[in-house]
Amino acid sequence: MKISIDLTVNGERHQVDTTPWITLLELLRETLHLTGTKEGCGLGECGSCIVLVDGRPVNSCLMLAVDARGRQITTIEGLVSNGDLHPLQQSFIEKGAVQCGFCTPAMILSAKALLDENPDAGEEEIKQTLSGIICRCGNYKKIIEAVRTASDGKADS
Amino acid sequence: MKTNYVGKSVPRVDALEKVTGQAIYCVDVELPGMLYGAVLRSPLAHARIIEIDKSAATRVPGVKAVVTGNDFPYTFGHMVKDQPFLAMDKVRYVNEPLAAVAADTEAAAQEAVEKIQVKYEELPAVFDPRKAAATGAPIIHENLERYDHSSMYKIVPGTNVCTHMTYSRGDVDKGLSEADEIFQNEFYIHPVAHTPMETHAAVVQHDPSGRVFTVWSSTDAPYQRAKDLANALGLSFNQVHFLSTYSGGGFGGKGAIVAEGIGVALARFTKGRPVKVVFSRQEELTASQVRLEAFLKLKTGVKKDGTLTARVAEITWDNGAYSSKGPEVARRGAMTIFGPYRTPHIRFVSQLVYTNKQPSGAYRGFGTNQVTWACEAQMDIIANKLGINPVEIRLKNFYQDGDRYINGQVMQAAGLRETLEKASQEIGWGEQYSRSTGALVRGKGIATTIKGTATPTDSYCFIKVNFDGSITVLTSSVEIGAGQKTVLAQIAADSIGVPLDSILIPNPDTHVTPFDFGVTSSRTTYHMGNAIRMAGQKVRKEILEIAADVLGANPQRLLLCEGKIMDKDSEHEVSLKEIMTKKYGGKGGTILGDGHYTPARSSIINAEHKIQWMGSIFWMWATHAAEVEVDTETGVVKVLRIAAAHDVGRAINPMACEQQIEGSVIMGISNTLFEEFKMDRGRIMNDTFADYKVASMLDLPVIVPIIVESHHSEGPFGAKGIGEPALSPTAPAIANAIFDALGIRFNELPITREKVLSALRERDPVQ
Repeated sequence: MKISIDLTVNGERHQVDTTPWITLLELLRETLHLTGTKEGCGLGECGSCIVLVDGRPVNSCLMLAVDARGRQITTIEGLVSNGDLHPLQQSFIEKGAVQCGFCTPAMILSAKALLDENPDAGEEEIKQTLSGIICRCGNYKKIIEAVRTASDGKADS
Repeated sequence: MKTNYVGKSVPRVDALEKVTGQAIYCVDVELPGMLYGAVLRSPLAHARIIEIDKSAATRVPGVKAVVTGNDFPYTFGHMVKDQPFLAMDKVRYVNEPLAAVAADTEAAAQEAVEKIQVKYEELPAVFDPRKAAATGAPIIHENLERYDHSSMYKIVPGTNVCTHMTYSRGDVDKGLSEADEIFQNEFYIHPVAHTPMETHAAVVQHDPSGRVFTVWSSTDAPYQRAKDLANALGLSFNQVHFLSTYSGGGFGGKGAIVAEGIGVALARFTKGRPVKVVFSRQEELTASQVRLEAFLKLKTGVKKDGTLTARVAEITWDNGAYSSKGPEVARRGAMTIFGPYRTPHIRFVSQLVYTNKQPSGAYRGFGTNQVTWACEAQMDIIANKLGINPVEIRLKNFYQDGDRYINGQVMQAAGLRETLEKASQEIGWGEQYSRSTGALVRGKGIATTIKGTATPTDSYCFIKVNFDGSITVLTSSVEIGAGQKTVLAQIAADSIGVPLDSILIPNPDTHVTPFDFGVTSSRTTYHMGNAIRMAGQKVRKEILEIAADVLGANPQRLLLCEGKIMDKDSEHEVSLKEIMTKKYGGKGGTILGDGHYTPARSSIINAEHKIQWMGSIFWMWATHAAEVEVDTETGVVKVLRIAAAHDVGRAINPMACEQQIEGSVIMGISNTLFEEFKMDRGRIMNDTFADYKVASMLDLPVIVPIIVESHHSEGPFGAKGIGEPALSPTAPAIANAIFDALGIRFNELPITREKVLSALRERDPVQ
């Protein structure tokens, strides 16, 4: 049984014929070949698979692809605009916020959702927002620093 | 020597690919015609396999192969060849692979797995290595003594003892008789999971002519894995072709054949179609490998002034059902249980015992976490009893330059004192501070560690200077996530004299990149760094000779810096690209330099006859100082601050060193306070991240990384290593701080809130 799903990913419209039970994560990785989104547990417990759905962070392993119908999805591949890195991508590079890199896309996208809503987010808010994403490299200190660099940081001043 | 990159926190060369989602990990590999694998796993910890009926599984639409141990009857093992690709005759732990399916889709493979029928005869199982070592315990490997194994590991026939080792130096009876006090303590350290965010995975293709297995993998040592597979299957090395991908974390866990073995067994039967095997998080937590659990006994003689006179150690390690790197962990770990301390008389007994549990193997530290836990907790017990400041007792016994290690090697100990002095100073050791607010009580603790690197081991590389002046460095050191590519590129850039961005380091490919022992044992910066430095100097010399020829100049008077060749006399400057184009522009060409580093002939490792292998080409020293706050009403331990000082020799990239230190502190907190397997008859009950808790961003304390640089005489630009020793002092530093806060000593890990609360209740019964 196949159904048709119409959704927008990184500004590009896609019409996909697929089985109704696949997750958004599977659709992104296997059908659209956007492998920047990672699976760490498949149970919504590690945050590795976070993408933005209408600007809000969602564990894509827990969302059925059919529920993404008509929605705007942003993955890590969609953050570069006109060849320029997003300020968060830039600060993650500069501040050493990347080690193995497997959680990096989720960290950057979640931070983007936070800063889009509150450009002044301070340390506490950053920690609360990103605490659902596990980084086994334990690079939390530098990740917070990178997000603070990209935020206006007024909450901390 | 002036450097342009070495010593600087240049951003990582792999960061751009990673922040844009372009980096390809093993789980991202997709090939034409690729099939998906799934695994049937044992529900029992120890059982004889009576029958496997796969007929219904083979009929599931889309299934291309169903493979059992009978179909693929091979065993592998890095140190002891004890592990079947798929169980044969017996299963030895819950979730051991029994059969595997390759199908067009993951769903079809899973469906087929569920249709395989197995009949078992359950056998008595044993889960505690101390019981498994006792007479009358169920025997897990009946043919143990017949397995191929290195003569370095002494098997005890007819038992579950996989490795037994004793060693002594001096006369411990004499040393103990000279002591004013003798301390005897027992310690326990639990198994923990590596939990890399990228679970174990492999894509394997068996070429249709049947000659070569190609394996895409994020293992930490492609040469070792290819060698082990070739050895298992009776193939030559070049018939097992490893292609490394980026790795979503290793921490030692990717130092064994795990998903690769399943992939190979399946690919053998899929007529050339590649097979992808990706472990679920549950499989990762229950059926990959874990840190060796250990029971440790320490008996230590001490003079009233704190001088150590003798130390005797007994360690029983849990090997799990198969040995992975357990035998070497049990040997190398045991050797450093005496800590960074001059001890005239020592003896240890170390035994590694099979149990019916998930295999144990390398875990960041390679035995150092286990022995440092016992050694440093006991140093604190001794200091406390004798009324000596824990900092002072360590300083008093520390190795100094010229002291001899337990195999007679002369120690290079510069940097050791400095780590202790700086860490304790940073934590405010000895200063007055407010220790309690209501139910919250604070305390401080310190711990030091010694870590060597596997010695001697070799690294080779090639450097290609291409006809346009761009550089390709061919190395089998994988980017496990710790910054290997960046640090090696920095060393290459400064050794040759070219810009960092002209250097490319592709991922390893065992058909192309030369031998490397592996990204293990904190050895890459030092060993591969030295190989690259040698190759870099060779190509630099050749570039200058070519430039002299092209320019009609004296090569002695030419300099190469940042990709520009300058004539010292005329100050005339030409770019490397121009020189290369003039020389090779028409028909093309390459300048090739090779590098081979081995410490085998270095006088640094001179030691007593036949036991040189116990030493190390470099020693890594570290001290962690922790401040904790314990909530005496809930038992919750909050780590407030950790100052972590590490002697890295020379920081090639200080930011990368900080990443290792800060990340290890988080991992250490997680291991010490949160992580614990809950087992029921060999089954791990907490097999998800919801139940197997690891530290999150909310657990982040203030971490102060302190880099000490003692400049190793033979290291590349003076560098040593950092990845492993960064973890081992964290646990004892926290436990010592908890003792300082509560006066309660925890000798068993983990220190969960339940344990803290129950210890508090025992001490202060509710009225």
